[in-house]
Amino acid sequence: MAGFLRRRDVLTQGLCGCGLVVAGWPASARVNPMSLAPLVHPGYVPADADERGLWQQCEEFEYELASSNLLLQDPTVQSYVHAITNRLLGERDFGIRTYVVRDAEFNASMFPNGMMLVHTGLLARMRNEAQLAAVLGHECGHYLRRHSLERHRDLKRKSAAAAIVGLAAAGATGATGSNWFDLANSINTMLVLSVYTFSRGQESEADAYGLKLLAECGYMPGAAAAVWAQIIAERKASAVARKKRYRDHSASEYSTHPPSQERMEDLAASADDIASRVHDSREFEDRRAEWLALAAPIRFSLLEEQIKLNDPGASLYLLESLAVDGWTGTLRFFEGEAYRLRGGVDDVARATAAYLAAVAFTGAPPEAWRAHGYAQIQSGHADDGRRALAHYLELKPDAVDAAMVRFTLVQ
Amino acid sequence: MVAAAVMSVTACTTTRQVADTSFTPPQGDYRLIVMQPDISVGLLTAGGVVEQREDWTDQATANVLQSLRAMHAARGGNAMIAATREESGWDVAEVTDLVRLHEAVGASITLHKYLGLALPTKKNRFDWTLGEQAVEFGRATRFDYALFLHAQDSFSSAGRVALQVAGFLSCAVGVCVMATGGQQSAFASLVDLKTGQVVWFNTLASSVGDIRTAEGADKLVKALLGDMKPGAPVGKPAG
Repeated sequence: MAGFLRRRDVLTQGLCGCGLVVAGWPASARVNPMSLAPLVHPGYVPADADERGLWQQCEEFEYELASSNLLLQDPTVQSYVHAITNRLLGERDFGIRTYVVRDAEFNASMFPNGMMLVHTGLLARMRNEAQLAAVLGHECGHYLRRHSLERHRDLKRKSAAAAIVGLAAAGATGATGSNWFDLANSINTMLVLSVYTFSRGQESEADAYGLKLLAECGYMPGAAAAVWAQIIAERKASAVARKKRYRDHSASEYSTHPPSQERMEDLAASADDIASRVHDSREFEDRRAEWLALAAPIRFSLLEEQIKLNDPGASLYLLESLAVDGWTGTLRFFEGEAYRLRGGVDDVARATAAYLAAVAFTGAPPEAWRAHGYAQIQSGHADDGRRALAHYLELKPDAVDAAMVRFTLVQ
Repeated sequence: MVAAAVMSVTACTTTRQVADTSFTPPQGDYRLIVMQPDISVGLLTAGGVVEQREDWTDQATANVLQSLRAMHAARGGNAMIAATREESGWDVAEVTDLVRLHEAVGASITLHKYLGLALPTKKNRFDWTLGEQAVEFGRATRFDYALFLHAQDSFSSAGRVALQVAGFLSCAVGVCVMATGGQQSAFASLVDLKTGQVVWFNTLASSVGDIRTAEGADKLVKALLGDMKPGAPVGKPAG
């Protein structure tokens, strides 16, 4: 009987003296960006055995990545991303390598040894250089504050504790006859949850570090929050189109990242703090022109992979927000594609209208002429359609589907 | 109820070869390249996380390479041991690709021939290939066979050992919680570069052995590669 009472007391009072369980950072406290300093230096080489082991594992992966066909074969884009990263680090050589990989998802990641992956899906959603810099800064924050290593050590400590707890419960149950497994399970559940809390704390710190780098480099600090505002809006549009309620998957106790809304608010608040402290007339910049110049040549392939995700809500939201900088033939073409593939009641008409608008732009992609041609034929304007298809063949005589288009023309 | 705790120390190494019925081990004058072995040695921590150790991995890789060289020197014949991708004599990116392809094929063989998920179309056949890429590799480098080797070893940390001891004790009070110790596992495959087919495959699992030492690496290499048997009627392990 005494054993039961003791267990219940312990559960209600919380686990005093068990520091491991609540280790981690209070996830709700906003980190002050200016309080952060790098924990590694240029030319850093790990000394501890566990860190060296992690670096060695990453080496193998980096070797494979460097020769992978997922790597974007575009030296201009690769060196641009690398240049911004260097700029953020104040041109100090921390040995961080950046790799842009072809993947339509909005994501970027940092490995323990300073290798950074940036997905093309991220580039598709950036509106200016400051926004890209905000994400690159966040990832640099992970490396400069040694998050991967700390996360590994945290997991090791907590999994060891969980193993010991499980074993102790087994031993105690066998020895005393009462059931100690419920207590063991609640302790271990708290350990598991604390692993996620620790991870979320690190993400908040990386957000703050990114802001610090952003501001020190002269980029608009508000860009970081803007990235999240855009992502949240896109996800809401996607949910609406799928007739679902928007749910933030990171708003969970088992999430490795803080809720998106919270991140946006914290970043916005910290950005305001930073901006209010700037007294000189130096203006923060977003370097939109430089970004648009880089993005223009790759816009077609970025949107092509986005459309293939079959998420018309998100794709149309993205197209409309990019169109704030002005519609182009490429954007109108992909608007048409989004409607055509959605295939709803009036979508054929919408797609036809979009293709018509696309070809009105000089420099519209050849694919727009093809799509416009087929749409015109389908809607009964055979002559206009054939002319458009012929124009497509003129623009792209060695297209893979040239033979098929020619076949259509002789029908 | 107190069960008597039996502390049994089983030191077993098991290997199991699979090959197609038409396979005979290469004889005579053939050119063999042993691709850069993929070795990783780590520490098995108390919580079960295996943490790779760079010094152990480097040591084990060097030892395994040494054992491979010794084995092939003793056999005579024309074997080249490629310590790195560059040494294989082909474009590094292509070699990396081929090694990755082999990892996927090796995993498929393990899954469908060893772990019981038999494929109906491969029930009485051993039919896996690395395809055109391997044939190109053979043509470019003029090797007849390529041998791929993958090995993993782990050793219990002090905390893990303590957990294992405590686990034995918990058995004594009737509730057994057993934590596993470090494990050694490896697989090797022989690819005929004229056809691209995987012609022979062997796996090894052991709870003892230490490839960080020269003797341990020798034992692994001998167990894995020393006794290549001709193909048996498929479905039955050849040794």
